[in-house]
Amino acid sequence: MEFFKDPKINFVGAMKPAFTISATLVLIALVSLVIHGGPHLSIDFTGGSVLQVRIDPRPTVAEIRSGLENENYRGVQVTSFGAENEFLITFPNVGMDADGGRTMDATQLMLNDLRKALGGNAQIELRREESVGPKIGGELRTAAMNSIIGALALIVLYITVRFVFRYGIAAILALVHDVTLTLGVFSLLNFEVSLQIIAAFLTIIGYSLNDTIVVFDRIRENMKLRRKESYRDVINRSINECLSRTILTSLTTFFVAAMLYVVGGPVIHDFAFALSFGVVVGTYSSIFIASPILVWWYERRIADKKRMAVDM
Amino acid sequence: MNRSLQIRAGVTILALLLSVWGLLPTIKALSVPHAEREAAKTDPAVASRIADIDAKAIRRGLDLKGGMYLVLEVDQTGMNASEAQDALQRVKEILTNRIDRFGVSEPEITTFGASRIVVKLPGLQDPERAKKLIGTTAQLEFRMVRPTEELAAALETMDGIFLAESQAEAAVKKAETPAAAPAGTPAETAAAAPDSANPFAELDNMLGEDSDADAQRQAFLVDHPFSGMLVMQNNLSASTPLFVAEDDVDALQARLDDPRVKLKLRDAEFQIGIEPIRLTDGTALRALYLVDRTPSLTGSDLQDANPATDPDRPGGWQVSFTMTNRGARVFAKLTGENIGRFLAISLDGRVKSAPVIQSRIPSGQGVITGSFDNAEASDLALLLRAGALPTNITIAEERTVGPSLGADSIRMGVNAALYGSLLVIVFILLYYRLSGLVSVLALVSNIVILMAVLAQFDLVLTLPGIAGIILTVGMAVDANVLINERIREELRKDKTIRAAVQAGYSNATRTIVDANVTTLIAGGILLWFGTGPIKGFAVTLCIGILTSMFTALVMTRVLMELMTRNQGKQKLSI
Repeated sequence: MEFFKDPKINFVGAMKPAFTISATLVLIALVSLVIHGGPHLSIDFTGGSVLQVRIDPRPTVAEIRSGLENENYRGVQVTSFGAENEFLITFPNVGMDADGGRTMDATQLMLNDLRKALGGNAQIELRREESVGPKIGGELRTAAMNSIIGALALIVLYITVRFVFRYGIAAILALVHDVTLTLGVFSLLNFEVSLQIIAAFLTIIGYSLNDTIVVFDRIRENMKLRRKESYRDVINRSINECLSRTILTSLTTFFVAAMLYVVGGPVIHDFAFALSFGVVVGTYSSIFIASPILVWWYERRIADKKRMAVDM
Repeated sequence: MNRSLQIRAGVTILALLLSVWGLLPTIKALSVPHAEREAAKTDPAVASRIADIDAKAIRRGLDLKGGMYLVLEVDQTGMNASEAQDALQRVKEILTNRIDRFGVSEPEITTFGASRIVVKLPGLQDPERAKKLIGTTAQLEFRMVRPTEELAAALETMDGIFLAESQAEAAVKKAETPAAAPAGTPAETAAAAPDSANPFAELDNMLGEDSDADAQRQAFLVDHPFSGMLVMQNNLSASTPLFVAEDDVDALQARLDDPRVKLKLRDAEFQIGIEPIRLTDGTALRALYLVDRTPSLTGSDLQDANPATDPDRPGGWQVSFTMTNRGARVFAKLTGENIGRFLAISLDGRVKSAPVIQSRIPSGQGVITGSFDNAEASDLALLLRAGALPTNITIAEERTVGPSLGADSIRMGVNAALYGSLLVIVFILLYYRLSGLVSVLALVSNIVILMAVLAQFDLVLTLPGIAGIILTVGMAVDANVLINERIREELRKDKTIRAAVQAGYSNATRTIVDANVTTLIAGGILLWFGTGPIKGFAVTLCIGILTSMFTALVMTRVLMELMTRNQGKQKLSI
């Protein structure tokens, strides 16, 4: 079985519409991020508490929310989560002292108030709790930023050593494109960006890069073999030669990520969603963005005769 | 077969065998029948046997096993660098000590940075109780033990407080069950004249030590709702004759906590001992002390305490301590005025030890002697130091997962892994046929080796870790796809099968390495910055990348070369 027998699709020729589409999507993502005042950060980064509770008999989301508001909680978020009678309740900082440390009975406090809010005879089982003080939240935010920037910097460095600097920049632009779009989708859908999602971003970076490098590697090889062809043709040929592999690998990775999304359970839902989305975007960007950027750069800046000196 | 191929085949087989061997304990743990796990809940013998089996299996993270992850912030305001460091270490010691008593298997307590302590309690059933235990700031206090002559009056006062309600209760009970023994007043309670030769004589009478008839004891308890709970032992301890059976400690404490006690007893209070004393007949008792209400000294008066060998007792240990200047002054006066009396050292309202004051201690430097061994002396010294540390601990981060959710997560994660892998396997077989089978073999081996590495290096498997494995499955295929696509290409150039396989592998190797190194960079960053579950993801992802490179570049190559060894072979199923 074979998807493509010696394909000759003019990917580089589709550069203009591809760049336009991507630029539009990135713009939409950015606008959404600006309107929402940045990504919707989870308590991992803002501080606060999330309780995953199973309540019997099942109240409505509105009942829980108004009940907690009556108990003088402000800014509580309640969402139905996974199974029928399970809820995720996000509290702003509860039981914090002046330095942002939580007192030991803060959880009990929240649960008691929840019990009061629901009128006393509800059975409440605490399935999971995550609480982060604002101080650690701030630190995690810095760490997450640093890790993404650090990963991108190291990757440029590695590609510069193994290829040339220009490839590194092209690859990074594709990665920034991928991460921005994923962030944008999270922003549009109002999904929270948590530590897990940062892990997903880094995986998307690694994965999308994997794709891009395979194509770059082929470009490097073809540059030596096909000196008579134009730069544009060599790159288009390389993308086509790798096409089967790119699609195949993307499919298998998408299969498993999607499977994780479907049966992996609610705790890992957003993570799997980010991965699945990232695989699609990453595949698209390594075909339509990363390599065409090389052509665009080359045709604008570098004369044809210098080609060999630059890319080998 | 050439030499290089032999070696590589050998390495592959060895790696697989080692991996399977490394996974045997995990397989054993997984195959414990459900019924037996249920039985373990009630039968401690079965539970400990299963725990032994589980201990050798792959370690599950808190999110799969259930448990609590806490980052605690130690308040270090106003301390200099070395004091702050010492404070951190001491708090860690105290927590280790407390959690030890809490009885969690495999707790992990580590310091993190300059002011934090990370506590991991896997399999914890009651997080609130654990937090309460961790959160109490140790309140160390020194109180004079009241003379035994005052005990009788104090007990009478205590009985008086609860008398009315206990009799009312008994009346209600009697009305409900008329057949019950009448609540009479046993002869023992008749007030006997105080015997000056034996200060405990009156107490002996009050407590009625040998009233074993249950009904009689019940009746006695009605009229002596406090002292009736106690046991009298004259020769067990020099500092107090009063004891309470281990089973009655909570009930007794409830009485002691009654707000009326404070009003009636005024300048004294009862405190129960921290540790039970085990008698030869198997019963466990705790001492009950009558002590001053106002502590003479508190933990903040104490500067330091350390275990030391006891010069008077070969092999024995004692605890030496140093008071602060203020503490030393108070202590000198206190010891000077109370030679021969007992000083109770209590933590959070429970008495740890009540040594006798042998002489005036003017310098603030003293020793506590007793029949301590090394561990007991260290324990007491630690407790003294802990109390000398008036610092606050707050929770900076907490992640708790209930055991039921952990089990759900495992089930879902394993399902996702299973279905995802099946989908990939079917797809690869359809696409590459016989060569696809080689890829599938590599894929399965990859998971086996990856799991074995986790088990052997005692790494922790988390839910994101399972996600990492699943992702590895998807990505491990990539290397095989790269190789197979290359071989197909070489075949199109009309190379012989053997040459095509060789060229395919050597061309693909560079690509695979380059592509995987960049993913490793991302994984390495995650490993460095990630905490808890994220780290679990990074660990499996990184190991998965390495093992997939091994299976793709070494293992499948051996298989492919073996398959195509026959020169005359005309067609490769790819």
